[in-house]
Amino acid sequence: MATSDSDAGGTDSEAGGDPGPDAEGAGSEHRQPESGSRPDDGNAVALRAVRKTYYLGEPVHALDGVDLVIPRGSYTAVMGPSGSGKSTLLNLIGCLDTPTEGEVWVNDREVSALSQRERTRVRGQEVGFVFQTFNLMPKLTAAENVALPLVFEGIDKRERIDRATELLDEVGLADRAGHRPNELSGGQRQRVAIARALANDPAIILADEPTGNLDQETGTQIMGLFQRLHDEGNTILMVTHERPIAEYAQRVVHVLDGTIERVEEIESPRRVESDGP
Amino acid sequence: MEFAESLRLSVRAVRSHRLRSALTVLGVVIGVAAVITFVTLGTSLRADVLGQVGGERSPNLYVWAGPEGQNGGPGAGAQPVFTTRDLDQLANIEGVASVVPRGIVPTAAISAGNDTVAQRQAIATSPAYFDSGSVADGRAFRQGSREVVVNERAAGLFDPSLSVGATVSLQLASGDSVEAEVVGVQNSSAAGGAFEGLDGGSQPLVFVPTDPFYRTTVESPATGERQRVYPTVTVVAEDFAAVPDAKVGVQAYLTNRSDAARLVPDDYAFAVRSDEDLVDQLQELLTTLTNFVTGIAVISLVVGSIGIANVMLVSVTERTREIGIMKAVGAQNRDVLQLFLIEAVLLGAVGAILGIPVGVAGAYLAGEYIGLDLVLPYEWFAIAVAVGVLVGVVAGLYPAWSASKTDPIDALRYE
Ligand SMILES: Nc1ncnc2c1ncn2[C@@H]1O[C@H](COP(=O)(O)OP(=O)(O)O)[C@@H](O)[C@H]1O
Ligand SMILES: [Mg+2]
Repeated sequence: MATSDSDAGGTDSEAGGDPGPDAEGAGSEHRQPESGSRPDDGNAVALRAVRKTYYLGEPVHALDGVDLVIPRGSYTAVMGPSGSGKSTLLNLIGCLDTPTEGEVWVNDREVSALSQRERTRVRGQEVGFVFQTFNLMPKLTAAENVALPLVFEGIDKRERIDRATELLDEVGLADRAGHRPNELSGGQRQRVAIARALANDPAIILADEPTGNLDQETGTQIMGLFQRLHDEGNTILMVTHERPIAEYAQRVVHVLDGTIERVEEIESPRRVESDGP
Repeated sequence: MEFAESLRLSVRAVRSHRLRSALTVLGVVIGVAAVITFVTLGTSLRADVLGQVGGERSPNLYVWAGPEGQNGGPGAGAQPVFTTRDLDQLANIEGVASVVPRGIVPTAAISAGNDTVAQRQAIATSPAYFDSGSVADGRAFRQGSREVVVNERAAGLFDPSLSVGATVSLQLASGDSVEAEVVGVQNSSAAGGAFEGLDGGSQPLVFVPTDPFYRTTVESPATGERQRVYPTVTVVAEDFAAVPDAKVGVQAYLTNRSDAARLVPDDYAFAVRSDEDLVDQLQELLTTLTNFVTGIAVISLVVGSIGIANVMLVSVTERTREIGIMKAVGAQNRDVLQLFLIEAVLLGAVGAILGIPVGVAGAYLAGEYIGLDLVLPYEWFAIAVAVGVLVGVVAGLYPAWSASKTDPIDALRYE
């Protein structure tokens, strides 16, 4: 698996191809976020004074002035009560949504200023989404689901099959390639979803309560998988409301009423003993 | 997104709702089949009719006086206005070879032996009527004698059927009864002449000489004598090249100097038609008829396309979440549009392709029933497929467009 670093050089030519000084795979594991860093200095993600307001009669500030930097190769958890703006934050980074104010940078590119078309490309190429409800295509097999982002990128069939096979193998589901989602357990579905999120070698994996629909043991397996992906150099941003799950990350961003309440560094993140799925 | 992959995904979507897709396709099948059936029948009917008429053209001009502005066939609404003097004058026009009058003798019945058969009319004409050689057995009657020619259909009404030499008794509408000898039997397959209509041969026809049978007379305005007067006249030109000039001559005579011009009712007009005119008129009529029936069939095609639109709208709503997923992993609006449009086109095209054989089968059955030889309109098969695709595009456009505009966040939240 490529690191997020080489991915940046490979897919984002418009950002000037600056891989940045950090993000040497697992070496960046204990890197601290620099509060004064510029948005375009090689971080995976940076948010500047981001506000998202919904107008439903009364304006609702889902996010109310958020500054956040996610360095390449980092593993960050986002916690907060329901309705505090966690999903909104992820959707903005994942280009599913646009901020009302402020800037969102992904892989050294200001995505909040892009056209809808280009934001769709960023979704397909720079980020990988993992959802609480898996969101797999019900009529496609596991392998086809994993290959779906490649379809929209115009990768040819042979390459898609190779890549999907490789990724399913990586998440331990090589023997389930031809199964439909309804023939898989919840944990298996989430692993297919994770494989799909990795298909385009994204700069960041965005996971919105990935263990929310899973029992504890299966959730731990998924955390084991994230841990391995992080060890391999991937950048992960994960929303959760379970403290034990958040402790697998290097730091926890606490969100309250659309603002970042505090950022907590985890001294020694929890580790899953046997991370093989 | 490559086309092959879109097609594969669309096929899978269509197949995942077999019954629904099948019913939708059925709607298009019925529409296309209806169009193909009627177009095939129309084409075949035209070929058949024109084959009959066009097959044996003669340098004839069919002349009658009918209500102004009406477009009926030869002799429609004809009034008896052409006097014997008119016939003589017409025969003198340059390029005219002969003039054959035709009148109706109202009858009640014909008897032969012990059989009596109801027959509404006998056709009074001159022996020249049979110059084309349509008498298969015997000869044409002679003017001034009590002789008749019957067609095979009329002969067959009797048991044993009438043959040359038989004696028949014509009961006239006036109540009188006249004995006559059958001198000829006309071949049924011979067109009875334009005034007998296209299916003339399939009706029982009895021909009699105008003298002595035809009794409709009028005082000729030109000569003051009482003369026979006929509703329809066939002017035979010397050859095809002479037809146009003869037509002009006939028209000029009729309007300017004829008895007919003075006898004709006010809002009546003379019709002088060549075979070619009749074919043109017939062709026009058939085209109108075919277009009308095809138009009705097209309505069922429109209904079929509404079915596609309906199913596509349901499909888009049902798959809102899938659309959200695809967009979340990088599907452009264009990709989503393409997917749904291909799905709609697939339904339309499959419907059209299946509709063609069904339509041909329908035309075949109908053709068997009415005894029509089929002429397959191959170009319409291509048109049908194109229309099927078009119907898919038109019906799928709005649903596909609305799918492509779906907001991914809303779609992912959709239950
Ligand atoms: N499409 C929307 N329209 C209106 N309000 C919204 C919409 N999406 C989110 N919100 C509001 O924004 C706030 C944050 O929502 P969300 O980010 O989903 O919270 P969380 O994921 O932390 O539970 C909530 O108050 C929610 O009601
Ligand atoms: Mg949420």
